[in-house]
Amino acid sequence: MVLVSAARDYVNRMLQDISGMKVLILDSQTVSIVSVVYSQSELLQKEVFLVEMVDSISKSKESMSHLKAVYFLRPTLENIQHLRRQLANPRFGESHLFFSNMLKDTQIHILADSDEQEVVQQVQEYYADFVAIDPYHFTLNIPSNHMYMLPAVVDPPGLQHLCDRIVDGISAVFLALKRRPVIRYQRTSDIAKRIAQETSVKICALHVLSEPFICSLKITAVEKMIYLVNNSSGMQKLMYQQESGLFDFRRTEMSPLLLIVDRRDDPVTPLLNQWTYQAMVHELVGIHDNKVDLSSTGKLPKDQQEVVLSSEQDAFFKTNMYENFGDIGMSIKRMVDDFQQVAKSNQNIQTIEDMAKFVDSYPEYRKMHGNVSKHVTLVTEMSKIVEERRLMLVSEREQDLACNGGQVAAFEAVTNLLNNESVSDIDRLRLVMLYALRYEKESPVQLMQLFNKLASRSPKYKPGLVQFLLKQAGVDKRTGDLYGNRDLLNIARNMARGLKGVENVYTQHQPLLFQTMESIIKGRLRDVDYPFVGNHFQQGRPQDVVIFVVGGTTYEESRSVALQNASNSGIRFILGGSVVLNSKRFLKDLEEAQRIAKSSTNVV
Amino acid sequence: MATRNRTLIFRKYRDALKSVRVPTSSSPSTSSVRGGGGGGGPVIELVSTSLLNPNRKYAPLSTEDPGNSSKGALTVGLPPAWVDVSEEIAANVQRARTKMVELAKAHAKALMPSFGDGKEDQLTIEGLTQDITGLLRKSEKQLKRLAAAGPSEDSNVRKNVQRSLATDLQNLSMELRKKQSTYLKCLRQQKEGQDGDDLEMNLNGGRSIIDDDNLDDMVVESVNELAQIMKDLSVLVIDQGTIVDRIDYNIQNVATTVEEGLKQLQKADRTQKRGGMVMCATVLVIMCAVMLVLLILKTILF
Repeated sequence: MVLVSAARDYVNRMLQDISGMKVLILDSQTVSIVSVVYSQSELLQKEVFLVEMVDSISKSKESMSHLKAVYFLRPTLENIQHLRRQLANPRFGESHLFFSNMLKDTQIHILADSDEQEVVQQVQEYYADFVAIDPYHFTLNIPSNHMYMLPAVVDPPGLQHLCDRIVDGISAVFLALKRRPVIRYQRTSDIAKRIAQETSVKICALHVLSEPFICSLKITAVEKMIYLVNNSSGMQKLMYQQESGLFDFRRTEMSPLLLIVDRRDDPVTPLLNQWTYQAMVHELVGIHDNKVDLSSTGKLPKDQQEVVLSSEQDAFFKTNMYENFGDIGMSIKRMVDDFQQVAKSNQNIQTIEDMAKFVDSYPEYRKMHGNVSKHVTLVTEMSKIVEERRLMLVSEREQDLACNGGQVAAFEAVTNLLNNESVSDIDRLRLVMLYALRYEKESPVQLMQLFNKLASRSPKYKPGLVQFLLKQAGVDKRTGDLYGNRDLLNIARNMARGLKGVENVYTQHQPLLFQTMESIIKGRLRDVDYPFVGNHFQQGRPQDVVIFVVGGTTYEESRSVALQNASNSGIRFILGGSVVLNSKRFLKDLEEAQRIAKSSTNVV
Repeated sequence: MATRNRTLIFRKYRDALKSVRVPTSSSPSTSSVRGGGGGGGPVIELVSTSLLNPNRKYAPLSTEDPGNSSKGALTVGLPPAWVDVSEEIAANVQRARTKMVELAKAHAKALMPSFGDGKEDQLTIEGLTQDITGLLRKSEKQLKRLAAAGPSEDSNVRKNVQRSLATDLQNLSMELRKKQSTYLKCLRQQKEGQDGDDLEMNLNGGRSIIDDDNLDDMVVESVNELAQIMKDLSVLVIDQGTIVDRIDYNIQNVATTVEEGLKQLQKADRTQKRGGMVMCATVLVIMCAVMLVLLILKTILF
């Protein structure tokens, strides 16, 4: 709830003190930020009667001085330029500027220079710089996400841009939570280290500016005490050392933990096909900012071509988003039956009272009807896709490759599926990738055979993609124990699970994130693998943990986080990523990165 | 939740830059003196700046009024006419709301056991109900006037204002209906209670039948009106939780309709230019000219 309510609070505060008719002006990023937490009808209640994009509004010439302009933008160069043009020829009566992150002084200078007509009434920084798609899951929707796989020398400004956006997003989350975190990062990932360090610098800068961080108050009090004691008694060094223990304890007791990990530590999760509702819709169709675009999947009535899947607004979705496909089918059938009963009773109008009841309950009836049609359409679409691509068969193999051992059997199974005509190209590619990730070292000859077969079967396959993946996320590059075969305890656990059998073959995979969360809960996250930034050190267990995955999160992982939070372990997890991945997006990022890497080596 | 207010710094910069800008913009002779605040402005300022900047040329004082430097201050124009309509509707809605509160009180009073026969209570209730329904009807008619044609930003604002008022109206109608139905239900229960006691009083029996008819009529009437209003408003009201309720969807739609509108306008322009009328007219003029020339030739030759 934290993320969504923080974003909503910010938007409320922006709009509440300004009376009269307003126009809300957003840019392409803030429109996502606002749309997922605020609805159009709520805006209308706040008297915002027009919503525009800052780049299109610059082109129009109509003067609407009876409206007050509320700008909510990211503090980027283009936005400042747009604002300059707007302020030089203002179209609206008043302007109120809100920025989603910190402004540089030069930017304020530029704005002040162009505000000759003095229309700007306030300039504020409201740190809603993340897209809060679920209560414990946020994303940043960064288009140039693939840059994280490339070394810094290839495109330094592009990589810097990516890092800046991520650092801005993460600091906005902590500013919205009003906490100052202790930062840990994955040792083996350069970009994670870079982001951790840059975030630390930015947050320290904020602390120096004495911004409202709760921790800082306590810390300064202790520091003052130390200063007084030092000056009065003269036993300086000794006292400070004694006090520093207290200092640390106080700080770590309240400080949340920020853990920055790299997607390449767990490349398996984005490649797998999903069978729980939200993850499945994203994998097969695609969810963007909680909207699903069904227009490409055949003829649908106009109001079902694009639908909203938000756990905040849809009670049925909220209870069923983490259920697997079979259970969803049952729930939907129940919902349809309920609805049909209501519909039948509505058709059976005989007395005046029935009529009155029908008219009274008509809005709810309409809403229910819309909701039922939406879910039925989605499930029908997904069933169709599952049928076409033989996903039941393919996914069983995938889960086997991800969870169970047995190289020989796996090789045979993958070869069979590659020979199967009805399996699509992308599924073949995924199978080979999963095999390669697991059995990278075990039998190179057979691996080569698979590569060749893949290349011969799939005409659109870009050669070398699997090898590129192995170079990025191979066994030597990974920190975590992805397959549970590195230490004895995990091997024993796997064997026990194999003997016990699993409840559902299709959902047996647990993302690596689950293990990371367990280690954090038990306080056993190894310093060797996940060092601290700077000289911070946290002894106890944190109460709030924000895990940021550079390269993107998946809905399977957000499900893991949500279930973990629901189990009341005393620690609250929040998950964030640069994008939300599905297998298509992950493969696209890989291809982009491979293309750029190839072209840069050609140049060099 | 952390925020930071940058308004003071902004104002400081703005005032500083304004004082720099004012002298340089008011006369052309000062254009050579930039950034240091030369030229027009009070004498004292000029002296001090020339002391501070001995290198600057001494530029003559400008006779222009420095107050003109705000080139063309934004004329806060009057809002367009439809804003008056929307304000009127909003005022009606407010009036209806206050009347609803009175109606609720009247309902409560009428339901309480009393000594009189409650006719005046009934009258006040009927009167209030009719007033409210009248206000809602009037507002609904005026709402239709708010709609505008053509894809412009103004029409989007109007559409949104319409939607917001439609939602308010619909909510009011539903509330009215609910209050009425609970009142009528309570009344019916009371009557049945009374009838149970006075079985022998034929007068009462006669009256209760008539009252039952009245009640039914009232129910039918209110249901009818509510259905009417809801049908008219349902086009305008946004269903919460659907795609239409999303801000980004509405922006996209606006963009596409504006583009569509532009395309249509351009197409219309082109067809009009290419239009048959213009062609015919040009052809006729040419033919007239040709005929005239032939006529002149004929008279000259013969």
